[in-house]
Amino acid sequence: MPDREPSLEEQLAALVGQPVGSRPVSVAPDPVNVPMIRHWAAAFEDANPIYTDEAVAGGTRFGGLVAPPLMLQTWTMPTPVITGIAERGGSPVEVEGEAPLSLLDRAGYTATLATNSEFEIDRYLRPGDVVTAATVFESISEEKETRMGRGRFVTWVTTYTDQDGGVVGRQRFRILKFRPSGAAS
Amino acid sequence: MSAADGRGAPDPGSIAVGDPITPLVVDVTATRIVAGAIATRDFMPAHHDRDFAQAQGAPDIFMNILSDTAYCSRFLTDWAGPEAMVTRLAIRLGVPVFPGHTLTYRGEVTGVHRQDGTVTMEIGFRAAGEIGDHVTGTAELRLPAPGSSPPVNPPG
Repeated sequence: MPDREPSLEEQLAALVGQPVGSRPVSVAPDPVNVPMIRHWAAAFEDANPIYTDEAVAGGTRFGGLVAPPLMLQTWTMPTPVITGIAERGGSPVEVEGEAPLSLLDRAGYTATLATNSEFEIDRYLRPGDVVTAATVFESISEEKETRMGRGRFVTWVTTYTDQDGGVVGRQRFRILKFRPSGAAS
Repeated sequence: MSAADGRGAPDPGSIAVGDPITPLVVDVTATRIVAGAIATRDFMPAHHDRDFAQAQGAPDIFMNILSDTAYCSRFLTDWAGPEAMVTRLAIRLGVPVFPGHTLTYRGEVTGVHRQDGTVTMEIGFRAAGEIGDHVTGTAELRLPAPGSSPPVNPPG
């Protein structure tokens, strides 16, 4: 039956392994740098000297300044276009084309709740490193009953690499796309 | 001063299952939420614009997830000290946190493995506020064993 419309399950299965965003990879607009690290450390009042104190950092196993490991995701965040940000529903950048997950919105799973963020860190970044992030869908669950309503868990995995192509870390991020309570199923 | 300067850091030679992580208390203010959102380059208005947040059904701006993982890593390394390397951090998100709330991070060592000059610790933790658990999670940290010279990370 080559002409029939693929089922929702088939369309969701086809997303696994595909890029989540409109671009297959995101390259950090700036190399890992001390000013952004200092800004981050001040915002969270994180006094770990390996981030901002060259003399102390040099005497540790790290041998010099390193970026906070959980800053990994920050380096490749898109540079925002401030004008129009609220009108775009909070999206910091113009969205090109239709997002792959609009498939779930059209199927009635219109609400979104972030549930998990999981990092594996292979190595700490140093100033000068240039980070690239590649994010693909890892899995989309069957419909499940949750305390929010009926929904599907969507997991994507981001692989972060450096300027030499070496993997520096991975992040799994999971959201629940669900039918708002009261909505017909 | 916390253990981030190395004073009061745990002795890798005697770390054991059940050891508590030094608690961290964070008074959540609008300034703290906005500072964290911008430092992590997260410009979603729900993290800096109360009118936008309320139009979306939230009572106020709320902390972004990149700030959550940042505070978790600070909580862990404030205790473990500057020689610690965070190799894994997994959080599950609970109730949101708004200005005026207080978050208390607590945790304990749930596993210890010693091999090749490295002490690897598994840690379980949670950050609780006025309306319930904001974050629960697990982490893996590595410390050099006493007297060992672990490989430099990142390789120079």
